Amino acid sequence: MIGMKKESHHDILSDHVETDKHVLDGVKSAPGFRGDVVLAEADDRALDSEICRRVEEVCAPKAIASRHVEGKLQLTLDKGKCIMCGLCEEAAPTLFDVRNGFAQPVKRRLDLVVVGQPDEAPGELGESHEDLGKRLSGKIKKILGRSLAIREVDAGSCNGCEVEVAALNNAIYDIERFGVHFVASPRHADVLLVTGVGSRNMESALKRTYDATPDPKVVVAVGACAASGGIFGDTYASSGGVGDIVPVDVYVPGCPPRPEALLYGLLLAVDRIK
Amino acid sequence: MTAGVVRVHQGAANRRSNLFDRFRETVSVRVLNWNEVHVDLRSKEDIPQLCLYVRDELKGKLATVICSDERRSTGGFVLRYVFGIGNGEDVFVIITARVLQEDSASPTSFPSLALVLPAATVYEREIKDMFGLIPEGNPDIRPLTLHEHWPEDVFPLRKEFELRTKVAKAQDRGYMFLKVEGEGVSEIPVGPVHAGIIEPGHFRFSILGENIVNLETRLFYTHRGVEKLAEGLGLDQVILLSERISGDEAVANSSAYCQAVEKVAGVVPPPRALQIRAVGAELERIYNHLGTLAGMSTDVGFAYGAARLNILKERMMRLNEEVAGSRLLFGVNRLGGVAVDLSPEKSRLVKETADSVLADFNRMVKLLRDDSSVMDRLRGTGVIGPDVAAEMGIVGVAARSSGLDIDTRRDHPYGAYRSITIAPHYDTPRHLVEREVEMATRRGDVLARFETRVEEVVNSVNMVGEVLFNLDGSTELLVPVPRENLKPFSHALGYAESHRGQTVHWVMVGEEPDTLFRYKVRTASFANWPAIETAVLNDIVADFPLVNKSLDLSYAGNDL
Repeated sequence: MIGMKKESHHDILSDHVETDKHVLDGVKSAPGFRGDVVLAEADDRALDSEICRRVEEVCAPKAIASRHVEGKLQLTLDKGKCIMCGLCEEAAPTLFDVRNGFAQPVKRRLDLVVVGQPDEAPGELGESHEDLGKRLSGKIKKILGRSLAIREVDAGSCNGCEVEVAALNNAIYDIERFGVHFVASPRHADVLLVTGVGSRNMESALKRTYDATPDPKVVVAVGACAASGGIFGDTYASSGGVGDIVPVDVYVPGCPPRPEALLYGLLLAVDRIK
Repeated sequence: MTAGVVRVHQGAANRRSNLFDRFRETVSVRVLNWNEVHVDLRSKEDIPQLCLYVRDELKGKLATVICSDERRSTGGFVLRYVFGIGNGEDVFVIITARVLQEDSASPTSFPSLALVLPAATVYEREIKDMFGLIPEGNPDIRPLTLHEHWPEDVFPLRKEFELRTKVAKAQDRGYMFLKVEGEGVSEIPVGPVHAGIIEPGHFRFSILGENIVNLETRLFYTHRGVEKLAEGLGLDQVILLSERISGDEAVANSSAYCQAVEKVAGVVPPPRALQIRAVGAELERIYNHLGTLAGMSTDVGFAYGAARLNILKERMMRLNEEVAGSRLLFGVNRLGGVAVDLSPEKSRLVKETADSVLADFNRMVKLLRDDSSVMDRLRGTGVIGPDVAAEMGIVGVAARSSGLDIDTRRDHPYGAYRSITIAPHYDTPRHLVEREVEMATRRGDVLARFETRVEEVVNSVNMVGEVLFNLDGSTELLVPVPRENLKPFSHALGYAESHRGQTVHWVMVGEEPDTLFRYKVRTASFANWPAIETAVLNDIVADFPLVNKSLDLSYAGNDL
């Protein structure tokens, strides 16, 4: 973004302009980007039941919970539910920090739940999409030989995640150059990239898509909805996460996760193919 | 906003309320929230008569049909037919009728409008699924929101239904698609899982050779229970929910919701906040139109154009990230104002980025227009004629491409749009005539929708420039929305023009403080989806993705 300002006179029709620049610069996320929410360093005295009640109340997807452990109040933050709205930081700036990196994708659902301790999430984006992509491409070559085929399934999302998954294919992220491509049928896929709450009306379609995918297969749950139902929760219409319908191997938190987070999630997914 | 504006609105609505004098025996009329004329019917049997009167005599356009379960407070279900009247007078006419439940054994019904007002068909089917009221006389009462595996006696929006109920699956009754029979006719089922990175929906084509003889859409796969969910959330939290009705129209939907609540509370956000809302809405329009045009380029097989347009979209999304901290502009709106400010540096960044994107966009449009392989695919494909468009009540880009000159930003100006020049601006007789000719020549095909979108990208960039130039100097971004102003069961309409078209949100405040009794959402997609079934008739199957993309419909926004 910063680099772009200087050369605003480039021409979209000429070659290399945009893509080369971003590859060389790496992409930085904006200072105010809400990519991750973490528990801030706070001494115990700051935590009273009043403030806990307030942050629990303000959190729409109920990602924040407090409980008494050995007589002390302890906060837990479930990043699988968090929709990165930042309202908790506004309500209690001493307890929460919103960072502009992205919440780290994980292999186990429980790893998304942060208990008590502030976690060591990087404040910055860390690796650029270029470095992530190169690592991904190396891993794909080693484990799969050549390429990784992904089938995307929307199981009841708001289409925010679709926008970001589609962005992986634009000329800047250009995921195909790392050997990753989106395929038209689950029968051609190694990975199912599943978004959405796992809506009741999509349940059987998702199951059938999973069954149609040949082994070995890996399921990546994209976004807060796929991990837990997100703001839509667990209701008559939503199953509260796609994990109830198909086995999930990798969780990518975020609402929606930015393309770099998706790349990181795919890195973990390739690990799962053995 | 000055008190003057409020007075003007009240005036227009009051003038309109006289028009129901001839029905004095059967209705009572009151004006609410500046521009809502509420016409309360004594009997539900008068619904067709009054609705047709509003459509034919007052030139009202059906904006939404709202049902709410008010059995506990008023003894029945209440139906509200909302008509928007543009024509220079910003008025909504709301026909209200009570549907009493006579006895719990027989189903409760209301007279259907489907045969005389086709746009009402889907609303009636939705009401039947969610409330269990039977639209008497609607020939199509197949399930809509709740698919075939839902038991027939489950009505999620009734008050006695608990949000978290897990309903056991009933035996799949199967969906009755219209069967086309004859020599050489075959069927192609597509979806709900599609080949591309798009949302789920099922399409059933009947084809003769390559030509589409009939298309039926089966949607609501992404039904997440948004409206029911809102009844259990706090008012501030519903903003987050409204942003996620359809992720790519976050600003439009949350603006409409906020306006509805602000109307009930009788507060007006500070001018600067309204301007920032408008900037957000136009940025949203720009990045989505760029994405849609890129998609259309893909669907005609012109990958070069798609790749370049997607670069422009990505640039706009990075700008969104800088402005709002979210690539999809989540988190712009708050009740009573906005959460993000546009500092002079940010304003400059917005202006410079939007201008440079526009310069590049113009180069791209020239390239696309000069390419006959692109233009030939667009011309004459997926036609929605003006009559069909009007009958079906379609909105937004699709309506404007079919020659209906409607735009909520102009017909029902809200927020900062009261003072923004909504391009194309025409105030001289010559311009008016030119515009009329322009609208009359729009054929409602994919090419028309392409050109409308191109025009709107240019206009939106200019509007962003204008707003930033006139940005109010005060730093105030939020006014409190006093919860004590929100009386139980008071209600209001909020509306906005998203990049897809008019989105209408209706809120009724709940009895408990800081809750909603009912939140009814109708996005542009819900109004426009039925039109695709006629748009593709006689086109070839291979053109379907193109027609679909040119209409740019949201599944999530439709399914809620």
